[in-house]
Amino acid sequence: MNRRQLLAAIGLAAVAPLALAQSFSGKTVTIIVGYKPGGGYDATARMLARHLPKHIPGRPAVIVQNMPGANSVIAANHLYNVAKPDGLTIGTFNRNLPIAQLTGVEGVKYDITKFAWIGSAANESTILAIRADLPYKTFEELRKAKEQVVIGSTGPGANTHDFPLLLKDLLGVNLKIVSGYSSSADIMLAVERKEVDGRAGSYTSLLPFIERKLVRPIVRARTTEPGIDQLPVDESFAPNPKAKAIMALRSAPEQVARPYVLPPKTPPEIVKVMREAFAKAISDPEMVAEGKKAKNELEYTPGDQAQKILVEVMNQPKDIVQEFAKYIKFGE
Amino acid sequence: MLEALWEGLLLVLQWKAFGFMLLGIGLGFWVGLLPGLGGATTLALMLPFIYTMQPVEAFAFLLGMHAVVATTGDITSVLFGLPGEATSAATVVDGYAMTKKGEAGRALGAALASSLVGAIVGAVALAAAIPVVRPLVLTFGSPELFMLAIVGLAFIASLSGEGTRGMVRGFIAAGLGLLLATVGQDPQAGVARFTFDTLYLWQGLDLVPVLVGIFAIPEIIDLFVRGNSIAGNAPPGKVAKGAWEGVKDTYRHFWLTIRCSLIGTFIGIMPGLGGSVAQWMAYGHAAQSAKTPEERKQFGQGDVRGVLGPGAANNSKEGGSLIPTVAFGVPGSTSMAILLGGFLLLGLIPGPDMLTKHVAVTYSMVWTIVIANVITVAVCFLFLDRLAGITEVKGHRLIPVILVLVYIGSYTSNSHYGDLLVTLFFGGMGYLMVRAGWARAPFVLGLVLGKIAENYLYISTARYDAAWLTRPVVLVLIAIALAVIAYPFFQARRRG
Repeated sequence: MNRRQLLAAIGLAAVAPLALAQSFSGKTVTIIVGYKPGGGYDATARMLARHLPKHIPGRPAVIVQNMPGANSVIAANHLYNVAKPDGLTIGTFNRNLPIAQLTGVEGVKYDITKFAWIGSAANESTILAIRADLPYKTFEELRKAKEQVVIGSTGPGANTHDFPLLLKDLLGVNLKIVSGYSSSADIMLAVERKEVDGRAGSYTSLLPFIERKLVRPIVRARTTEPGIDQLPVDESFAPNPKAKAIMALRSAPEQVARPYVLPPKTPPEIVKVMREAFAKAISDPEMVAEGKKAKNELEYTPGDQAQKILVEVMNQPKDIVQEFAKYIKFGE
Repeated sequence: MLEALWEGLLLVLQWKAFGFMLLGIGLGFWVGLLPGLGGATTLALMLPFIYTMQPVEAFAFLLGMHAVVATTGDITSVLFGLPGEATSAATVVDGYAMTKKGEAGRALGAALASSLVGAIVGAVALAAAIPVVRPLVLTFGSPELFMLAIVGLAFIASLSGEGTRGMVRGFIAAGLGLLLATVGQDPQAGVARFTFDTLYLWQGLDLVPVLVGIFAIPEIIDLFVRGNSIAGNAPPGKVAKGAWEGVKDTYRHFWLTIRCSLIGTFIGIMPGLGGSVAQWMAYGHAAQSAKTPEERKQFGQGDVRGVLGPGAANNSKEGGSLIPTVAFGVPGSTSMAILLGGFLLLGLIPGPDMLTKHVAVTYSMVWTIVIANVITVAVCFLFLDRLAGITEVKGHRLIPVILVLVYIGSYTSNSHYGDLLVTLFFGGMGYLMVRAGWARAPFVLGLVLGKIAENYLYISTARYDAAWLTRPVVLVLIAIALAVIAYPFFQARRRG
């Protein structure tokens, strides 16, 4: 690097924030959500849209656009192939998109590790809860159950289905999975009328029913949060390393449960600005309070860390992926 | 209970809550009129505004909006043959036929008056059901819900045309509807069915683009071919009046309206059946009320009872679907799922507490539904006759406007060009069906009920094997389904 280039570089570094501020001011940043309005992904995006502007230099307007279809694959493809890498389009979509890529789902036209990752706005800790009036108080007791325990699910690809499926197939727990319920709330009603004995799902969504003593948490996946630290983890019962790897792989995307990305090849300075804005917005007391109130609690996973987790997911040995694909299908 | 009811009314009548309700009504009014933009989406968009509101104000706002969507949705259905909402598609069948006969005013009057009756019945049911709601909802497990879907499908018999030929066509159309309901990723094995490797079809066919296509497109073509106005073939001077006649119709067929309201409420209470089922079952029931074959033929040609039934049911189901939402935290429809998010925002936990500790808030919701509908219907009546005048506008001025509404409406469901293709495809299919004299209602019924029937049949069998067939409520429902199927034949024989 000669002196001139050095000067130019210094000059650029000094001017860049200002230039960025100018480039964002008066602009509109669009968050593309891979679902219809009304769900959890949409709610988080709308909350962010309200709190992000004050943390981005130039205070651009932030709006939400829904691009539903194919469990978010359409939105991800759009962001990967069509959206301009100018920082004005952000995407948020199904956390299981890495699974779709890994298992070779048709129609996937993205490489999840090549997005410019802003980070994740929340974790998801999956647990299995069964009716409190059943005789099984612990996971150990459930494992020894002679009678089949019926678990309701919404369908393959959802954590209501995949988590208990691995418990059944890899750990030999005596479960019967009945799928086809239209929502996790629907399964809850089936639990109330004793049509099924329990359901898996995110701890947050089950909490009201745990507090009401309708169900009791029994076992959790790797990702945790305060309140369920003491629950046994499915992986720790794995009979062999392969089973353990499969369970870990299923759970990995849950650490990146509300993914936020920019299109690939977004200039690093824009990525940096967005990452900082996200980190600040998510720790913004106003937004934290709002999230608490809406039972939509936030936890920021920085972009580089999210990317690292996903690179690890994508680099699994072939035999593990093949075995994994036998159990897990991409969905929801 | 009376005290809580009174307290609930006072809560709604506070000036702030009332003001928010008026605001909600104003919004809901337009959302209902515009096709595509549905009540559920709008609720999701409005949710952020309630952060700073008190619970009663927030529900007055959200429910006020939601309660009128189905009411004004009927207006678009009647005037243009274009379903204003997925939940007001059944009103098109006879409502638009009346419009073409120059009876738009009467049809609108009937739709609105029956909507009001429906809303009140639904709200009363909500208020009355509060003490018994838990056992009521818990009696209906997956086997019972499956059988309810079957009862719904049994109405094909009365929705089809007359005679063996009409019946066969009806069942073929319904079968096609059932088949198309399987498009998309199935929830048991996760297999993609009939998606032709497109991502768009992965989550199945959306109801709005299909309904808008199958009902509106044939009418637009017809209007274009005729070259005059929607009511162009009607005797002059008849169009811009008759709204009161429609109100009188509601009282002429008062018990039918009440029965259809009860059907709507009941379907609303059952979580998992979805909002678009009730109207078709009510329509089927209304068609059954025809006493002679000549009368029966009038259905689909503009019988006012075909407007009253769905008009009442699509409003009464709102009160019904609030019941499981409030009592269990289990939403009865998409809109209610979003409303549930509102509960949490306001720090209210749906469940037993809403029926005891916060019962006044619950009753304030009942009142909101009633008051919002009374206001809407009253306001609508002020310009109803003038509204009917639109049907005398020349087609070549009207068609571009309707077409824009059709395509915007269908595009709002996924913001994907696939929505437009689906609308065109089903538009073409609808046109062929109309030309060949096939009833469209059985097809839509099959499409609406297909997924429900499939999933609950699977769950019932997976959970109980064949034992579910002997559950008492299932047996009762089997009997009802058989009665519904046999009724038209029985009627025909009695006449013969």
